[in-house]
Amino acid sequence: MIADKRSPLPAASSERAMPCGSVLVCGAGIAGIQASLDLSAAGFHVYLVEQSPTIGGAMARLDKTFPTGDCATCTISPKLVACMRDLNIDVLTMADVVKLDGEAGHFQAQVQVRPRSVDADKCTGCGDCIEHCPVRNVPQAVEPFQPSMPADAAQTALLDASLARHGAEASALIPILQDINEECGYLPRTALEALAAKLSCPLAEILRVASFYNAFSLKPVGRHIVEVCLGTACFVRGSGMLLERLTDELGIAVGGTDKDKRFTLRTVRCIGCCALAPAMRIDGVTFGKMKLDQVANILERFE
Amino acid sequence: MSAFIRTADDLERLGAAGAATLYPATLKILIGSASCGLAAGAREVEAAALDAVKEFKLDATVSRTGCIGFCQQEPLVDFVCPDGPRVSFGNVTPAKMRQLLSHFAQKGTLPAEMALCRFDSEENVPAGQTHRYPPSANGLSKVPVWTSLDFYRQQQRVILRNCGSIDPMSIGEAVARGAYRGALRALTQMKPEQVIAEVLASGLRGRGGAGFPTGRKWDFARQRDSAVKYMVCNADEGDPGAFMDRSVMESDPHAVLEGLLIGAYAIGARHAFIYVRSEYPLAVATMQHAIEQAQTHGLLGENIFGSDFSLKVEVRKGAGAFVCGEETSLIASIESRSGEPRSRPPYPATQGLWGQPTVINNVKTLSSVGPILARGAAWYAGHGAEGNRGTTVFSLVGAVKNTGLVEVPLGIPLREMVQRIGGGASGKRPIKGVQTGGPSGGCIPASLFDVNVDYEKLAAVGSMMGSGGMIVIDTGTCMVDLARFFLTFTTEESCGKCAPCREGTQQMLRILTRICAGQAQSDDVDTLTQLAVTVKAASLCGLGSTAPNPVLTALRYFRDEFDAHVRDHKCPSGVCRNLTTFVIDAHACIGCGRCKKVCAVDAISGEAKSPHGIDSKTCTRCGACRSVCPVEAVVPA
Repeated sequence: MIADKRSPLPAASSERAMPCGSVLVCGAGIAGIQASLDLSAAGFHVYLVEQSPTIGGAMARLDKTFPTGDCATCTISPKLVACMRDLNIDVLTMADVVKLDGEAGHFQAQVQVRPRSVDADKCTGCGDCIEHCPVRNVPQAVEPFQPSMPADAAQTALLDASLARHGAEASALIPILQDINEECGYLPRTALEALAAKLSCPLAEILRVASFYNAFSLKPVGRHIVEVCLGTACFVRGSGMLLERLTDELGIAVGGTDKDKRFTLRTVRCIGCCALAPAMRIDGVTFGKMKLDQVANILERFE
Repeated sequence: MSAFIRTADDLERLGAAGAATLYPATLKILIGSASCGLAAGAREVEAAALDAVKEFKLDATVSRTGCIGFCQQEPLVDFVCPDGPRVSFGNVTPAKMRQLLSHFAQKGTLPAEMALCRFDSEENVPAGQTHRYPPSANGLSKVPVWTSLDFYRQQQRVILRNCGSIDPMSIGEAVARGAYRGALRALTQMKPEQVIAEVLASGLRGRGGAGFPTGRKWDFARQRDSAVKYMVCNADEGDPGAFMDRSVMESDPHAVLEGLLIGAYAIGARHAFIYVRSEYPLAVATMQHAIEQAQTHGLLGENIFGSDFSLKVEVRKGAGAFVCGEETSLIASIESRSGEPRSRPPYPATQGLWGQPTVINNVKTLSSVGPILARGAAWYAGHGAEGNRGTTVFSLVGAVKNTGLVEVPLGIPLREMVQRIGGGASGKRPIKGVQTGGPSGGCIPASLFDVNVDYEKLAAVGSMMGSGGMIVIDTGTCMVDLARFFLTFTTEESCGKCAPCREGTQQMLRILTRICAGQAQSDDVDTLTQLAVTVKAASLCGLGSTAPNPVLTALRYFRDEFDAHVRDHKCPSGVCRNLTTFVIDAHACIGCGRCKKVCAVDAISGEAKSPHGIDSKTCTRCGACRSVCPVEAVVPA
């Protein structure tokens, strides 16, 4: 098979373009596997080195992949099989690269393979030994989450008050996030990390909720929040132009904050003042029947 | 605990106390202070009223009320004269307020020529009684009666019965107007099964949009053998262009609480939630205040009306996600998860909040329940048409003269709504259609205005009732651009769980954006149709399966506009920039110069009081000049 892939090249190619030697790939996760398969297809011999006893890495443990929601197993399984069957790929599991010498184009690697204590040639992969292993089946405690940076005193006090009011349970997450967002204008990372520790809830889960809802901001905001209503009634009465005028006037895009941290511009899905369309809201005060030539005057009122 | 209400007599006493402030012996100044009133400047008017009362040494009370629905006229102020009718004044400014009170101080009456309308009597709907004001004296009889105004004439107010009449912060005034009478009858004289039978007989259907019979929903939950059940009020009025739920919560919160109380009793729930959008801060505050008041009077809490029934009500604030109006997403959101829907069945009535049977009703549905129990199913079924009993509220907005909230019996022709109640087009441009049902509905063209407004008829023309938003569209709106607007909305609000909605709406948006930009490909319209049909059929929840409706109706009724964009590279409405050139009609232009001032690129020239002109080379076609022109002289070429 190797010989096939090294079959005569078109005459125009120089000799240097001919694949020769072999390639060492470290880590047999999805990236390492795909790299090995591609290299093999290009005609290189591959040594795929993996520290753990199996290939597949993190993806083999996932249900779905972001952002498409595709089934993870469906993506990786055929590649696992292809990788093991490929005569051009030598899979070295439970192995570590201990030494690397040489230069680009000519490396020499020393790989140490740890004992597996199972004869790979005879093993059928039935898994009975795993079931009966007394050590493997000991439940492993999840390490408690450690915030990367402690929250400041004000945030801690705010969190404690909010937790006392709504209860320290995952079912109170949204009301707690609303409290933080209202007080700070956005959701500071330190506060979210502290919250994750207090609720014993994964930070990822909190971030998932926080990023799902439009009412929450993960970025700091300006002193005044300008919200342009993009409900249908406002739209047919020209809120698109109003928004454009505001982005011009403030020099920021939707979702942005200006340099002086004076204004943050946002859009909102209908504030229910449809009869006063087009409408906008600054710091909770609604301005109805907006005309484009009023924008500058209104903004001036907010320092 | 003497404040606790246990009997009809206790309720009567609370109502009598409320009636004293509702119909006081002195002059009462009633300021419409719902969100729309506040946006129009109600607080400044209130301050002016307080100052003027002090200045002219009047014996008067200044009170706040909710929204009567005639938003066009906000800020609205009503005067209840000591020896005359209640008189409404529209578009009141602080200066006008002072003028009115100065007139009253001097002449003891109000200037009839400035008034909008008068109320000779007010109905206490749940009690079936009428409160009559003293006959009009002092020239106020010249003021038209409110029911003679086109905007009010055809209205039958059940859901909005107290909106704009009572102080929403006063439980006494609510009770004086019949609140909790229905709950009293249900809890003290009826078995839960009888309550359900009564609601079923009334023909009440879910006012959230789908129109499922409320009694049947309650019955499903009632029959579940479960110790814990939940009652939820869906006040996540995400549909842009609809604001009646906000208005009801801000104006008559006890109507919602009474509905929840009766519903919870019927299904056997001891815990209820009201899920309100976070965009409605005043509604949240008003509901919360009403809950506290109801608790202090024992109308919520333990052993309500001395029975063994108890109910706890909590307000949960939404966090800005349109999809959370869908009931399974709403449940996820109350449980503090991200608001992604799940497939049904199981329906929430069998498996809802925390896996327990849960009934989710719209604000308008719940507000209708109190009067049904107080006056009986037959009375309610007397409104509306066969299969579509009762009344519902529409928010009539957009390009009509009279905008606001309108409560009419189901089955009224659409033409009546637009031409009579709405008063026809607001500007010079003719009306070309009505968008109902928000991003899930469709646009009904003017040629179909004879259709009757009910659940089935609207669905038959490709739109839907939805939550009752009605946006009137004139020829200044481009239908392709409007479809693009709705797709932008649904694309952003799609939760991303299922592929047809997540990917399909994006591709549709891409095509529509291309058409609006004048870069359409010849087969774009066909691809768009195909995509729309697929997304509609294959999506997981209501958001996705209705998202193509605006596109499909636009294609069905306004195909010529699509053709104009694709084939002729022209936007007939002058909205899509790459396909438009603006000119100023020299005959219409009055030379006011507003367009010149607003133009960001100085493309407009002209002397004051003489016709202006647009330099089409510099013009970016932003349309700003068109929007500020007071005489509609800026037109697409």
